[in-house]
Amino acid sequence: MAIIEVDGLTKVFNGKVRAVDDISFNVKEGEILGFLGPNGAGKTTTLNMLSTLLRPSSGTAAVNGYDIHEEPDKVRRSIGFVFQDPTLDLELTGKENLNFHGLLYGLDRDLREKRIKEVLDVVQLTDRANDLVKTFSGGMKRRLEIARGLVHHPKVLFLDEPTLGLDPQTRRSIWEHIQRLNQEKNVTIILTTHYTEEADYLCGKILIIDFGKIVALDTSDNLKARLEGDVVSLAFKDPKMILQIRPIFEKKKWLRRMDVTSVGSNQSMAGRMMHMMRGMSGGMGMDGMMSGMRPESGRRNESVRHKGPNIQSVGPRRLNLLVDDGGRRIPEIVKLTNEIGILLESVELHKPTLDDVFLSVTGRNIRDEQGSFMEMIRRHRIMQQARGHRDSG
Amino acid sequence: MVQPLSSQAIYVVLLRELKRYWRAKSRIVASVAQSFFFLVIFGFGIGGFIGRIGDVSYLSYLAPGIIGMGLLFGSIFSGISVVFDRQFGFMKEMLVAPVSRTSIILGKILGGALTASIQGILLMTVALLLGAFSPSITLGIGIVAAIGVMLLITAGFVGLGVAIGSTITDFHAFQLISTFVMWPLFMLSGVFFPIDAVPPILQVAMLCDPLFYGVELLRWCLLGAGTPLLGPFGWLIALGVIACFNLLMVGFGTYLFSRAQA
Ligand SMILES: Nc1ncnc2c1ncn2[C@@H]1O[C@H](COP(=O)(O)OP(=O)(O)OP(=O)(O)O)[C@@H](O)[C@H]1O
Ligand SMILES: [Mg+2]
Repeated sequence: MAIIEVDGLTKVFNGKVRAVDDISFNVKEGEILGFLGPNGAGKTTTLNMLSTLLRPSSGTAAVNGYDIHEEPDKVRRSIGFVFQDPTLDLELTGKENLNFHGLLYGLDRDLREKRIKEVLDVVQLTDRANDLVKTFSGGMKRRLEIARGLVHHPKVLFLDEPTLGLDPQTRRSIWEHIQRLNQEKNVTIILTTHYTEEADYLCGKILIIDFGKIVALDTSDNLKARLEGDVVSLAFKDPKMILQIRPIFEKKKWLRRMDVTSVGSNQSMAGRMMHMMRGMSGGMGMDGMMSGMRPESGRRNESVRHKGPNIQSVGPRRLNLLVDDGGRRIPEIVKLTNEIGILLESVELHKPTLDDVFLSVTGRNIRDEQGSFMEMIRRHRIMQQARGHRDSG
Repeated sequence: MVQPLSSQAIYVVLLRELKRYWRAKSRIVASVAQSFFFLVIFGFGIGGFIGRIGDVSYLSYLAPGIIGMGLLFGSIFSGISVVFDRQFGFMKEMLVAPVSRTSIILGKILGGALTASIQGILLMTVALLLGAFSPSITLGIGIVAAIGVMLLITAGFVGLGVAIGSTITDFHAFQLISTFVMWPLFMLSGVFFPIDAVPPILQVAMLCDPLFYGVELLRWCLLGAGTPLLGPFGWLIALGVIACFNLLMVGFGTYLFSRAQA
């Protein structure tokens, strides 16, 4: 039985930003659905509408059988929400924040005390529980926020990037608790994340959303299986060489698709930062700075997406080739590069991962999306430009 | 839409207001000190050459008005703090909970009225220690009545604050609200000068100020008499006006708050 039914949900901000664009999907009771998507894709906006915090521009949804327009109170009684942005009261202690939550959700004293003890233990904050939250570190606040969402056991739990910025151990302990909650109490969960490990570990189904539209919805395994073949990932001594080698690979029949990706989020961030500085010293102002982060956003008159990042940009980049029977292709690939005198730095072979799926449906590398504020602004701008085109064209 | 009230939710929000008030010690100290300066400097300074107003010393005349000032600023600020709740995110935690917005806002208004009244009691104590009121049995009864009056007049102003806080979206508007709402309400409340001593146009303005009636009631409680202008049943008139103002503002604040999105 579907416990969440979403039907044509749409949100337009200020009459122009289509944050969520006519999405429909169902979530079965007891399922954990992973919500993936680039920054600004519309994940938070969707959750805000499902939780009745935001009125949809059109479309509707039912949560636990209650329509979000007709019976918002009953919807709220059925859900819990761990927000992406901080929502703690800093002037209260950790325990007070949890206790207030328990009171707001109508738990009696005994149950409150039992649950508070339990969740403090999960996030390992028992010994700091009586300190004012304003004295907590960023990670501790995040942990408290998650703990609070676990105090009452709702039918449906929304977790908006719950483990962003947490250390691996805490993250794992939270995963385990989420899983227990799901299995023992049959809590249905929608979880947004930029960590594919998290989605793979927890989520039965994955929904990828981009520009407010659903671009993929299936189990992680099925999504990966859709990318038939293997991924051969090449790193070059000089990223500019990607330009030269691409046309050669493109002609090959065994190539299913090809994506340029940055090596790791840190390096690509550094690259973007460097580019930003260049933009500024070149006297381009904020505009130059923004487009400098990813050169393609500066090209206003072209379709911005699905062109792959501009290769001239700074930072080491990889070329990911999706091919049949990858192991057998490697010698040929190496041979091809050698023939035109290009030096490879490394070659990797792997089965398609969720990262590869994300890249293939959004044209972007999910590792670049993790918590980058500037990235969010950038996307916002691209999106508005893209809308502008569509409207005028 | 009928919104069910939940006493537990009202209690949570109220408790939070109390805790936050109690923990902001510097705000309490600043407010008490400010009133102390007003009482001493104006009370003894201006009082020195004005002499008496009616039957009482200028200090005694001033004291209920200064208490009123503390009540006004404290309660409007409490209401406006919904802006901070929104800014710092806690509002979402309350709005997504299965409680009606009416419960939240009633908790907020009760909490604001309570904390502002505690503030008023502190100021009343300061005035008492400065000798503004002559001790007697009637004063004892008057003080109890004054505390009730404080709760009453603050509720409406918290409501006004909530209405303002639900309308403005950023902190920049504060200066405007302070200049165009709080200060006129304070200056026109008859704190510094009696209403029968001013030109008619100003009298009308003062009669439109709800705080005027609040201060009037406090004078009845603490000094045993109000302005001759309102007559021997002035306290009844004042009570009626304040009751109407409260109903209006609590309703208005609740309405605007319920409409606003997180
Ligand atoms: N209150 C608002 N007013 C105007 N625009 C908004 C508002 N909230 C969100 N948006 C816009 O809607 C789009 C979707 O935002 P949303 O927060 O849903 O993205 P997201 O998928 O959660 O991204 P992230 O991964 O960065 O959290 C963005 O372009 C954002 O700028
Ligand atoms: Mg988000």
